[in-house]
Amino acid sequence: MDSVRTYENKKRGVLLLIALAVITGILVDAMAGGSEQWQRVAIRLPLILTGSGSGWPITGGFALNIMLSIASMAVATALGIVLALATLSRSAFVRIPSLALMNFLRNSPWLVLLFAMLYIIPFEVHVFGLSVPFPPFVKAVIGLALPTGANLSEVIRGAVQSIHSGQWEAARSLGYTTTQIYRYVILPQAFRRMIPGWMNLYALLMIATALATVTGIQDVLTILNTSLAMESERAIVYFYITILFLFFAYCYPIAVFARRLERAVKGDNL
Amino acid sequence: MLGLDFSWLGDATYQQWLLVGVTNTIELAAISSVAAVIIGMLGALALTLRIFWLEAIVELFVEFFRNTPPLLQMLFAYFTLSTLGLKVTDPATGLSVPLLSAFACAAISLSLFGGALAIEAFRSGIETMPRAIIEAARSLGYSRWSRFWRVEAPIATRICLPALTNILTNLFKTTSQASVITVPELMYYAGQIYNDNLRTLEVMLLILVIYVALVSVITFAMARLERWMAFPGYGTGR
Repeated sequence: MDSVRTYENKKRGVLLLIALAVITGILVDAMAGGSEQWQRVAIRLPLILTGSGSGWPITGGFALNIMLSIASMAVATALGIVLALATLSRSAFVRIPSLALMNFLRNSPWLVLLFAMLYIIPFEVHVFGLSVPFPPFVKAVIGLALPTGANLSEVIRGAVQSIHSGQWEAARSLGYTTTQIYRYVILPQAFRRMIPGWMNLYALLMIATALATVTGIQDVLTILNTSLAMESERAIVYFYITILFLFFAYCYPIAVFARRLERAVKGDNL
Repeated sequence: MLGLDFSWLGDATYQQWLLVGVTNTIELAAISSVAAVIIGMLGALALTLRIFWLEAIVELFVEFFRNTPPLLQMLFAYFTLSTLGLKVTDPATGLSVPLLSAFACAAISLSLFGGALAIEAFRSGIETMPRAIIEAARSLGYSRWSRFWRVEAPIATRICLPALTNILTNLFKTTSQASVITVPELMYYAGQIYNDNLRTLEVMLLILVIYVALVSVITFAMARLERWMAFPGYGTGR
């Protein structure tokens, strides 16, 4: 045990050293003329983060990516649950079409699906004399939610199927109906197992929000592209490093937390 | 039906564009897949050596590429590799041109992205290997090398195959993002076609179907490979 701990400590030391080396590298570069570029990044930072030059109100930028990912995940969760229950159905009329739909959505590239949704969903829909508009943001939410929902349904299905079949038999012999078995026996246990997968998918979705730039919403990449038009070739490198760091800083903690949960869940095998 | 018009498919120019697009997409996916698997094997092998500084570097590499958008990685590679000095002077015109083409930039960044995913998959494959088998091999007197080559590697390969399928399909789907940096692959030509004939919806639906069909081929082939490689009486083997 002790040797494991010193090994982990040594590894952490190396990681710290690399971080220090990166910071010194940035400082050395700043003294060699990079600070001018960093100043340009600093001026534009409120714009990149919130979409408005003064930092308020929030109209786009990285904040919009976060909002997009949350809205998309909400839609994807609802879609994933419905799809998962449909693929677990005992009726072949429900199961086979939903399996086909799930595989289609899982096998299509996110970017192409997003593009397709952009053109399939109309600009506005007239229902009972009311016109419901579909702005690009809503289209991006739906376009990203479709593949995420399909992947989530696979996560839910896996979690439900990982519950030992003895549980089904026991509940059935006690006279529970299928709905009751799901409600009181299977889902409470499966829920614990799908949380890590759900979180991993959220991190993946957040990364994919970078694609939403093709819908024309004012997300971080759109703003980056418009502001880069006014910057020198050398400053572009610094801007890209900043944006890459933003995504990493947001997604990495989620990934670490998901992995920790995964390890905690792995233990309970019934 | 639904007012869709696919008559433009008869045009020889569009057929030519689609064909070139599909070829380039497959080429890009093939190059980066092979490179990703090689990176994944080397990385996972490096992790089994249990050298603390090597492990730290590999983990940093994996986490960086897994937690940033591949689209940004590609844009970063495309826009910055040329400004960071990778330029050559064209002897014919005397102009300074970037050393790496858009295709090369896309291939490099996709290889690294896929490699990071592959390292993670291979690592977990090696970790889930049953300890008893390794101990049995050890007690039978296998040397370190032959234990790896004759016992660990064959089992780990089979454990990793489903995860590898995921990575290869994921990588194939990600190649569509290379269109953003003007790599002339399928998605890029889709844009060319609908800019030309203004049948956006039909073009996008066709491209979607082509991608799903190509990815399905990969999934099908990998499933066949999995069944073919399976040990008799173990897992999917019969």
